[in-house]
Amino acid sequence: MDPPSAAMLVEITARTLVVCLTALAISLAVGLPIGIALGRRHFRGRVAAVSLINTGMGAPPVVVGLIVYLALQRNGPFGALSWLYSLEAMVLAQVVIALPLVVGITLAAVGSLDEDWELQVRTLGVPKRWRLWLLVREIRLGLLAAVITALGGILSEVGAVMAVGGNLDGETRVLTTAILMHTQMGQLEDALALGAILLGLMLMLAGLLTVVQQSGRS
Amino acid sequence: MSGATALSVRDLRVELQSRRGSFLLTADALDLNAREALVILGPNGSGKSTLVRALAGLERPASGHVTSAVTGAVTMVFQRPAPLAGSVAHNVHIAFLGKKLSGAERRARVVEALERFKIDHLAEHRAATLSGGELRRLALSRAFALRPAVLLLDEPFAGLDADGQAALSLDLRRAISDTGVAVAMVTHDLRRAMLLSDRIAVLIDGKLAQIGSRDDVLERPTTPDIARVVGMTNLVQGVVGEEPHGDLALVEVDAQHRVATRTAYAAGTRVWVGIRPEHLKLDIGRGDVDPIGEGVVREIINDGVSVSVGIDWAGSELRTHLMAGRGLARTIEVGSKVSLSASPEQVHLIPVRAG
Repeated sequence: MDPPSAAMLVEITARTLVVCLTALAISLAVGLPIGIALGRRHFRGRVAAVSLINTGMGAPPVVVGLIVYLALQRNGPFGALSWLYSLEAMVLAQVVIALPLVVGITLAAVGSLDEDWELQVRTLGVPKRWRLWLLVREIRLGLLAAVITALGGILSEVGAVMAVGGNLDGETRVLTTAILMHTQMGQLEDALALGAILLGLMLMLAGLLTVVQQSGRS
Repeated sequence: MSGATALSVRDLRVELQSRRGSFLLTADALDLNAREALVILGPNGSGKSTLVRALAGLERPASGHVTSAVTGAVTMVFQRPAPLAGSVAHNVHIAFLGKKLSGAERRARVVEALERFKIDHLAEHRAATLSGGELRRLALSRAFALRPAVLLLDEPFAGLDADGQAALSLDLRRAISDTGVAVAMVTHDLRRAMLLSDRIAVLIDGKLAQIGSRDDVLERPTTPDIARVVGMTNLVQGVVGEEPHGDLALVEVDAQHRVATRTAYAAGTRVWVGIRPEHLKLDIGRGDVDPIGEGVVREIINDGVSVSVGIDWAGSELRTHLMAGRGLARTIEVGSKVSLSASPEQVHLIPVRAG
């Protein structure tokens, strides 16, 4: 097999970013409200819900991939979607991996606030929408930790995207699956080059978020 | 003090469940009047904080209601104020979120509130870096910046050192006086209560046990439990004697000890005799106009400012306070025989209830 051309590298990298950032955006949109609600509200079944989240935070990605594969296969409950071996399936698998991380870290950030925090703001007559804004502002460092952790988890993940994406050339190949493929084929230089791009991406994104995080402390 | 009611409590019943069990707070009738300071006293666990949270609308009553008759804000300062992210000035600005005030008005109110509590020099500091006392001042600044009609305070001096408590209570008293805000304040610090209160309410075991003017509650508690809460810690039992002494009643504590009082109860009534420590007088070697007999000093605790003296009298321990380094406080010793006296006007009787 020919080594990946520059155009192919750009294509794989772009696809990686599209899949990961889409999954991250969905995970944040769904996970932040759930994490905030779980952190603020006490209801029957909350302990079970938190236990489920904690289990999800440590779930092996390859098992997540297997479950999503079974759900999306032709005879599975979501087989009619015909998502298997598509970018949609890869995004779905990554959402399942990232969502518990976002919820769990958000929940911990909200839980670290003083027990009376919300009541104190309420007694100042601050309207609900502003209270939510204050809450997000208060836990913003925790939220950035959730973003970094979730992004790191899905950007470096290979088992799930391989299972549901299939590493199809020009369609579902991303950096991690390409690295795995080139390693298995003994093309270690190509694997290393792709690995350097992946590491560079991770460094760039984590660095950017860390700068934002640290500026929030001042 | 005006007679208009700011907050009104009727037939309030608040039930709380926790891992430690259930707790019930009841208050049949409690009014907080406009421009008055009501101090809520009670032992630990008596429901003081629950009551003030119910007044703030933070506890849902099982029955009864709390009604606000004012148009201005009702706000509360918590026992452990939480600093919000950002500067001290920003923390005060937060009180204006969602309110229609011009930027200039907001800035002016922030400056005024920070100056009122003497933390204007900290305006640009991060709130999270403040000390406990500064944080308390920030929370009070934030509350006063709202120009509330009613201010609820939960243990505003808890955790502060003596100097911090004294300084903050004076600033708070000035702020209350300047603004005319109606205040309901929970504390178990009797000195602060006496400094700041117009009226006092006492909670015992979740029940509103007594409410009245400051002097009335301090001088005439209606039960021994209330007496202990309001500092009338000298309590001994006796029986109202058959023979009055002029226009005074004599209470027989035992065969050798009698106490004269102006409080009137029928002869033969079993009563608690209550004397505040500051009203119990000591003398060595000379009599007094209202003697109640001799006692023996058992304990002397000198904290450099005042001297607390424990005296064995009629089989009970009575306590009084002297000024450190002055008069009797310089010569008194453990084992000294002392002559005790109390003005009949300052001897209070509480009937012993059957059962």
